[in-house]
Amino acid sequence: MVYELQRLRRLHILLVDDDPEALQRIQHAVGIDSYLYHARTFLQARQHLAESIPDIVICELKLGKESGLEFCRFIRNTPALHHLPIMFLTTFTTLQDKIAGFNAGADDYVIKPYDARHLMARIRLLTRMKDIEQGDE
Amino acid sequence: MKKVLVIDDNPTIVELIKYAVNLQSSFEVMVAYDGEEGLKSVYAENPDCVIIDVKMPRMDGYKLVRCLRGDTRTANIPLIILSAMTREEDQMTGLLSGVDEYLTKPFKPGALNAAIERVLLLTPADRQRRMDYLLQTHAERE
Repeated sequence: MVYELQRLRRLHILLVDDDPEALQRIQHAVGIDSYLYHARTFLQARQHLAESIPDIVICELKLGKESGLEFCRFIRNTPALHHLPIMFLTTFTTLQDKIAGFNAGADDYVIKPYDARHLMARIRLLTRMKDIEQGDE
Repeated sequence: MKKVLVIDDNPTIVELIKYAVNLQSSFEVMVAYDGEEGLKSVYAENPDCVIIDVKMPRMDGYKLVRCLRGDTRTANIPLIILSAMTREEDQMTGLLSGVDEYLTKPFKPGALNAAIERVLLLTPADRQRRMDYLLQTHAERE
């Protein structure tokens, strides 16, 4: 199985999270399977997106006083970015948080802690699913 | 008695599903009429199986499935999509979202009950294998 997965295209992933442990965990999860870019703030993430568009954005729901929901809406309202798959990977677990996340335009909502292999599979399947959706348009 | 939660915004379809599931007489059927209400019901009722429509107000069925699969508390609840969307792309989106079975409307009561019986037998390892298989067959390759 590992041999087979290594044949998959390396994804470009933008992680937006200010927690060093979260970065370390996801680095471990994606391994050599993907290129991981990291932003500690949503402002940094916007700057990154102005220069380079990843295959998927993975972000926390809230960083300090910054809102991931607002960041999510920014992506959805920006024509060049609006198809980007967005996954919230977060410690916020309430139903209200989840509903707000999807209402803001997120495609997936995963709660920490997570299983690394499971997460990587979800990332891949989500990017594939968005490709199918775009093919519909 | 096992609990089956039906999430569909069409009351007529809900009644048909309830009738079909009740033929088995071994399930308690609960109902929610949109995605958000369905999500709340899953956490409140902890059902043994959830039957989900795709096109619904306040969170569609695909997002609902992904939301449930993204939380370890609900990641292994058996999920069935029952939808009028019959294209291969629709079914693929459902499977990639993490649903266990994708059935289309109109449906036969026997087929729905058979699907319920099948998904009730699935284990977390079965779901992981399914995910691996989907990765093998549908994720992008170089």
